[in-house]
Amino acid sequence: MDTGVIIRNFGFMMGGLGLTLQLAAITIVGGLILGILLALARLSSRFWLYWPATAYIHFFRGLPLILVIFWLYFLFPVITGKPVNAYVAAIVSFVVFEAAYFAEIVRAGIQSIPRGQTMAARASGLSARDTAMYVILPQALRNMVPALVTQAVVIFQDTSLGYVIGLREFLRRVNLVDAREARSVELYLFAGLVYFAICSAGSLASQRLEKGRQRMHPA
Amino acid sequence: MIDIAEVSLWYDRAHKALDRVSETIRRGQTVVICGPSGSGKSSLLRCINGLEAFQEGTIRVDGVSVRDPRTDIHRLRAEIGMVFQHFELYPHMTVMQNITLAPMRVRKKARAEAEQKAMALLERVGIPEKAARYPEELSGGQKQRVAIARALAMEPKIMLFDEPTSALDPEMIKEVLDVMTGLAQEGMTMVVVTHEMGFARTVADRIVFMSEGRVVETGTGRDFFERPQHERTRQFLDRILL
Repeated sequence: MDTGVIIRNFGFMMGGLGLTLQLAAITIVGGLILGILLALARLSSRFWLYWPATAYIHFFRGLPLILVIFWLYFLFPVITGKPVNAYVAAIVSFVVFEAAYFAEIVRAGIQSIPRGQTMAARASGLSARDTAMYVILPQALRNMVPALVTQAVVIFQDTSLGYVIGLREFLRRVNLVDAREARSVELYLFAGLVYFAICSAGSLASQRLEKGRQRMHPA
Repeated sequence: MIDIAEVSLWYDRAHKALDRVSETIRRGQTVVICGPSGSGKSSLLRCINGLEAFQEGTIRVDGVSVRDPRTDIHRLRAEIGMVFQHFELYPHMTVMQNITLAPMRVRKKARAEAEQKAMALLERVGIPEKAARYPEELSGGQKQRVAIARALAMEPKIMLFDEPTSALDPEMIKEVLDVMTGLAQEGMTMVVVTHEMGFARTVADRIVFMSEGRVVETGTGRDFFERPQHERTRQFLDRILL
């Protein structure tokens, strides 16, 4: 074991963590917003909203993420004749892909709210949009917190796939150091520890949140 | 004020919930709808504010047709308050927020004005001290009084009550019925689905008895209880009045 290789390259590798976190953050925010819209469309009684949203969700849930990244990065330029920036390709693939998963979480959360709540809101004259915004979504999102955090952790891990199109995020940098120093065991154990620590922190925070919520609002 | 003409409602092809129901409710009247469960009482109530999309017939509220596609249904609903069996307060909002949401979003009232009105209504239903509380901190009777205040905050012309005391413990029924009686005496137009026959007898101008999606019989309080015309009504009254 040579931990020196980690110490020597610590700054360089952790520098990639910034990009990793940035990718994850943008994907989580963008994916959740798109996911909410998809979920609302999927729950709509209007077929021209329902069908495209449902097809979208089934389509992307049926594909591996890496294929979506390849399509966008390699196939898209062939069709349009313009090269795609790797960073943009990664972000777009992540958001588009993860939105399908968020959509199903959001849909389940919305359906967990009793129908009477919608009825009460509509009866008071609120529009469909206001009913969703002020009555249904705040309650639904609260119920969804555990599932959303789990998905956020998965996304954080998924960003390592950005490496296949040359993004210098955390895992790619570890990989680069390994190519130079040939210390795979130490380096990949270190990488595993970093992912594990951050994901565990996320799960722990979600549990805390959940407990705090139960204290405030015993169901 | 409310004109119901030949309304039929199907939930699916096999299940007809309302069968050519007609009824007229005049301004300032309190009409009680009663009948066995599954008789279509609540469905009829929900047809009045368009929460239920009936397939046949027309309902006019103040001359405005509920199912007409040109009708602004949100505007119409703003004029019709509704109170539910299970309260349906918004659990993530305080009592105050529950009451002010629709006035601010639908009537576009300023917050200060909406809150002032809400406090006055909470005084009226007897629980001003609960304004900052969440629904889960209230008893059933208090929740239903908040729900009534929430409906009144829109200054509706009509109030619909869907079994407002059925989910309450017996000792809390009176506090809710008292509020409703007060409203009726002030001349609010009310349609009340309830099994509270005491309320029906003393407050209702008219009682409508429904069974299997049809109006079987209607009458004033005294006629209805003392001279029921139909066998179905007599059976129902025997069972409910013991």
